Amino acid sequence: MSSIVWYLWIGAGIWGIGLYGFMRGPELLRRIISLNLMGAGVFMVMVALAARTEPTDGVLHALVLTGLVVAVSATAFALALLARLLAAKP
Amino acid sequence: MNYALAAVLLPLLAALLALGWRRYAAWVSWGGTILSLLCAIVALQQVLSDGPQQMLLGNWPTGLAIRWQLSELTALLLLLTTVIHSLVASYSLTSLRRLQVAADFWPLSSLLQMSLSALWLSTDLFNWYVTLELLGLVAVAMVTLSGNKSVAAALRYLLLSLAGSLCYLLGVALLYGQFGVLDVAELATRMPASESHMTTFALVLMTAGLMLKGALWPLHLWLPAAHAVAPAPVSALLSALVVKGPLFILWMLWSQLATVELSHAAAGFFLFAGSMALLTGGWSALRTPYAKVMVAYSTVAQLGYALLAIGLALRSADPAFQLALWLFIIAHALAKTSAFLAVGEMQHSLGGKRVQMLKGASQTMPVAMFALAVAGGSLIGLPPSGGFLAKWQLLLPLWPEWQLWLWLLVIFLGTLLSAAYVFRLVVLAFDRADPVKPDFAPQLLPQWLALVPALLVWGLAFGSHSFVHWLGG
Repeated sequence: MSSIVWYLWIGAGIWGIGLYGFMRGPELLRRIISLNLMGAGVFMVMVALAARTEPTDGVLHALVLTGLVVAVSATAFALALLARLLAAKP
Repeated sequence: MNYALAAVLLPLLAALLALGWRRYAAWVSWGGTILSLLCAIVALQQVLSDGPQQMLLGNWPTGLAIRWQLSELTALLLLLTTVIHSLVASYSLTSLRRLQVAADFWPLSSLLQMSLSALWLSTDLFNWYVTLELLGLVAVAMVTLSGNKSVAAALRYLLLSLAGSLCYLLGVALLYGQFGVLDVAELATRMPASESHMTTFALVLMTAGLMLKGALWPLHLWLPAAHAVAPAPVSALLSALVVKGPLFILWMLWSQLATVELSHAAAGFFLFAGSMALLTGGWSALRTPYAKVMVAYSTVAQLGYALLAIGLALRSADPAFQLALWLFIIAHALAKTSAFLAVGEMQHSLGGKRVQMLKGASQTMPVAMFALAVAGGSLIGLPPSGGFLAKWQLLLPLWPEWQLWLWLLVIFLGTLLSAAYVFRLVVLAFDRADPVKPDFAPQLLPQWLALVPALLVWGLAFGSHSFVHWLGG
């Protein structure tokens, strides 16, 4: 059980680091990376929570998978917008 | 329930067809919206005759399945969404040719309608996350339709919206870890009994995320930039509908999941945030030199009324406050659609973004100006508009309670501010001495279509009795 708590704290810590990076900014690329860190933190919390029952909780794994799909497409969209923003600048 | 399902799936189908079949994208998307409007009407009738219905997607057992629920409230919100979408789509059919990327508007608008309809019908925390994320991504994509000038505002909107969702998602994970269910009805039976620091923290996280996505004070600063830079039909959809999704989830969370003491504490915060939104949003709307930014700030202010209604409804058992919340959402959606379409139409014909361009508009573009003034009347709350009905529901239970006089004062000041910014426009429009000349002859049909939602919001007065009845007031 204690290893699950340990992973929970690590996940929460990664989320917190991501939030700090996002608020601090100011470069947009840094903010996009920070958002990905926040996402990784949440997913880690979910995976750690899934391990607390025997057998592991399948619902949480499904949620993480859905979350990953959302995170990948959102990041791609953000990067595309950033590229367009930089290209529009003289 | 099948009709409600059709109201969600038809726009999705229309979006896919419009993506593949670009030449007829406009007609396909418009047709899908109109068909879903008919479905939403039938769905509302069914709910009124047979009572609330629910369905488990894919026939999975309870607990694992995604549950969709159609109650009087969600049927009404579904109808509101399809009505606004049909009106905006009809307006866009007549006016969107001016935009360079017009063909991209149609699939996105259908997708927006689909995600919002799915949001109303969903009842579990994770499904709300997915629909919110869809809504956010589509909304940002629609903001970028105005070209390169909008990319900076759109990117900022996207990043803040993603940060909001991740706060919300962490809250969802914490709640699931503690209770092992995601369905709100199921959570409502377990959660209030076992309150801990963890559940409070999860609720606070989710609230922060939702307030960021819903542009509720003090997390509203992204809204005026993003809503003002988007093309007029997009601004109308964003202000009228998109910000209401997070508001709906916020209300469901606090009214069902929190303990009494916790929801009282949160009500205090919502009351404060609502008052500040009313005052600062109204003041900024009064001071800004740009017409569309003014309408966008007015959205910030009007969302303050909704927050006040949430706060008061959490504190007191009086159902009038809940009724006021939904009436505000309906009235504001209709009025804001009209205001954005009218301003967009005038901005297009008269040229310029400043409020000053409206000088003499009552002479040069009388129909659009009339639409703006009529919509403004509902935003102020002049009787017998929908805005008046909502405000009346909010004020009525406040009168006898002397300890609540502060909120009366706030509502009074907010009303004065909204009257001030609406009259600022109207006074300019009637200054006919030296009117701003249109660059070319204004089109009449789009102006009349911009007027329709404003007339609907004034027509709400005639249907108010049945609204009150349906929403259980």
